[in-house]
Amino acid sequence: MPPKAAPAARRKGPSFNPPRPVKPAASPSTTQRAPKATATRPAPAKPSASRSGFQPATTIISSDEEQDDEFDDLPSDIDALMEDALDDEPQPQQPAALDLSTPPIPAPLLVRLLHHNFQDEDTQIQKGAMNLLQSYMSLFVREAIARAKDERERAARNGGGPSSRFLQVEDLEKLAPELLLDF
Amino acid sequence: MASTADATERRERLQSALWYTIGQFVDNEGAEDFNATPQFIGALTELVYTQIENSAKDLELFSKHAGRKVINADDVMLLTRRNEALEETLKRELDRMRAAEGRAEDQQPKKRGRPAGAGAKGKGKAKA
Repeated sequence: MPPKAAPAARRKGPSFNPPRPVKPAASPSTTQRAPKATATRPAPAKPSASRSGFQPATTIISSDEEQDDEFDDLPSDIDALMEDALDDEPQPQQPAALDLSTPPIPAPLLVRLLHHNFQDEDTQIQKGAMNLLQSYMSLFVREAIARAKDERERAARNGGGPSSRFLQVEDLEKLAPELLLDF
Repeated sequence: MASTADATERRERLQSALWYTIGQFVDNEGAEDFNATPQFIGALTELVYTQIENSAKDLELFSKHAGRKVINADDVMLLTRRNEALEETLKRELDRMRAAEGRAEDQQPKKRGRPAGAGAKGKGKAKA
């Protein structure tokens, strides 16, 4: 049955995983933390937790390693755990994230926006294509907001200034180029 | 002259509508979690509008290139050609939609000769 085989063969990387810079940065930071643990054991636990508080999985792993005092197999262990996390996480999350709550742009508005921007007035769009485009735009908007949130958190951590919970235009300015390249 | 003024007015109305919707969405989404400045909403609206504008032009050209006047799902999938993860996500979404359609069709006996699910998957494989 070719239809059965197709999805299995296509399944390679982890599925859509928005804030790209976070994942690669996570593994170096955990490896950096390990040598610190040799010098002073109990102290590093707190800064590490606050520094990467948005990634509970990695902090738990690092605290386990500190107690075990086994630094030799630390990187390989973390790699394995990270791969597990990548494999497991997206599958249950993705469908829930897509049909969760209402789409940001209602279909009638999206249709009008599309038709306004067509050069040829005769151009039409199928219903299925319309639904798909709606999920595309929904992903775009959610992605923009999620990355803006990420930028805000990072700005609050680095600057240490007033950590306002209001998303700023500067956040959007920083993420816009990469977002547009991704879509 | 009049037509261009009309077009700009329509464009402005559409942008206002989009601005309103996006604002609502952000407010609902981040009710307890975060908030956004009005300027952020405005900038996001501009970004989304531009994206829709570009997508509309792309979709139109894709369907024209295929010798069609009607945009179909394959054209939309072409929008994702530069991002594999995005393509996979949308593909899954498309399969889900087609499966839902197929289930609806299966309830009508006359359509059972051609199962929609297999057709959809076969198409996807031919493209990949």
